[in-house]
Amino acid sequence: MNYRDPDRADALAAQYVLGTLRGRARDRFVRLLRTDRGLADVVNVWEERLLPFSESLSPIEPPARVWSQIVSRIQPGRSSSTQPASIWADLRLWRGLTLAGFVTAMALAIVLLSPPQRADQALVAVLAGQDARPVLIASVDRTGRTLSIKPVTPLQLDPDRALELWALPQGGAPRSLGLISASGVVQIPLTGPADSALARVPALAVSLEPRGGSPTGLPTGPVLYSGPIQRLF
Amino acid sequence: MAIDPAKQLERNARLMELLARTALADQHAFAELYRLTSAHLYAVALRILRESAAAEEVLQESFVSVWNHAGSYVAAKSQPFTWLTSIVRNRCLDQLRRREVDTVTVDDEDEGMALRDEGPTPLELLVSSADARAVKTCVEGLEGGQKQALALAFYRGLSHSELASQLRQPLGTVKSWVRRGLERLKACLEASGMGR
Repeated sequence: MNYRDPDRADALAAQYVLGTLRGRARDRFVRLLRTDRGLADVVNVWEERLLPFSESLSPIEPPARVWSQIVSRIQPGRSSSTQPASIWADLRLWRGLTLAGFVTAMALAIVLLSPPQRADQALVAVLAGQDARPVLIASVDRTGRTLSIKPVTPLQLDPDRALELWALPQGGAPRSLGLISASGVVQIPLTGPADSALARVPALAVSLEPRGGSPTGLPTGPVLYSGPIQRLF
Repeated sequence: MAIDPAKQLERNARLMELLARTALADQHAFAELYRLTSAHLYAVALRILRESAAAEEVLQESFVSVWNHAGSYVAAKSQPFTWLTSIVRNRCLDQLRRREVDTVTVDDEDEGMALRDEGPTPLELLVSSADARAVKTCVEGLEGGQKQALALAFYRGLSHSELASQLRQPLGTVKSWVRRGLERLKACLEASGMGR
């Protein structure tokens, strides 16, 4: 079967997403999807076309036991090689998480509506805390090598503590980008143009650390703020 | 009834944020993600599998997978809800396949009972969601057979041969309904600005 023929690839992707691609043909397709980025893109487009058709289904509450089973499966023996320390998971601070995502969306809208100063292609992240209120805004031009991050309003911070910014790479451990200020703008140098330096980084987060930053190279304190990187291009 | 685009944006922003926090092993964010999406995803699974034990299992497997792979969610590539739905649907299809191997078949008797219980038919669902997405003309533009075949394949997870027996048509006919239906839907959705 020739997957290199774009029409053929498109037709197979459509049947894969619809669900009519079955059996060994589906297996072959799934194997190919793991390595063929172009094919994965074609599938993504079909998913955006077809899957919203499931939104007309009336929601049905699953029995409570489903959640308890999930919880029992995700808690014991989490791998320490790819996951941060357990304190990272023990986020009592997140208690009382409220539905206020629109505030984040509004903040983003404000960022989107303000004309960028130098270029119209940028990466922007709005980092919010437990109450979903935007706290920090990080931005960088697509080809820029310096990430600017600034608090929306000044933050409270004990003098013996520091705020550390982390890139959350796809499927990997958090990577420190540096310490940030509780009040002013901080410029954080990247390893290359933002486009590539943050290529596989879907989100940023800020953790509370001892003064001078995490001694381990991984977050040791609670996640205070986090947010997805929006790519405006 | 159209989906409010502002609400949609708000929901997507919220889900993206919850996924990002889930990637950080934030259990509270994960719990919130489950609270916001599980009833919808359970309905998707129940429609396809038509058996609550199997749908529960798929939902459980899917969320464990979301917990482990939230970091691989790439906001730029797909909408968060689409991403979650695809995980659940793919697992449902895997289940159906295991059933095929176990040679469990669905007879017409079961069919009638399940349909009575589940409210709107696949065809009604397709039309109502097209209406909500403001792409009603795209679904109306499909021929009757195409519409039926796509709706049953999508909402119920029927294979080509199951479609043929359900619609009492030769296999070649339903295959071409599905293929042409998808092509026509694509052309129309592209023309109305949905899906590149």
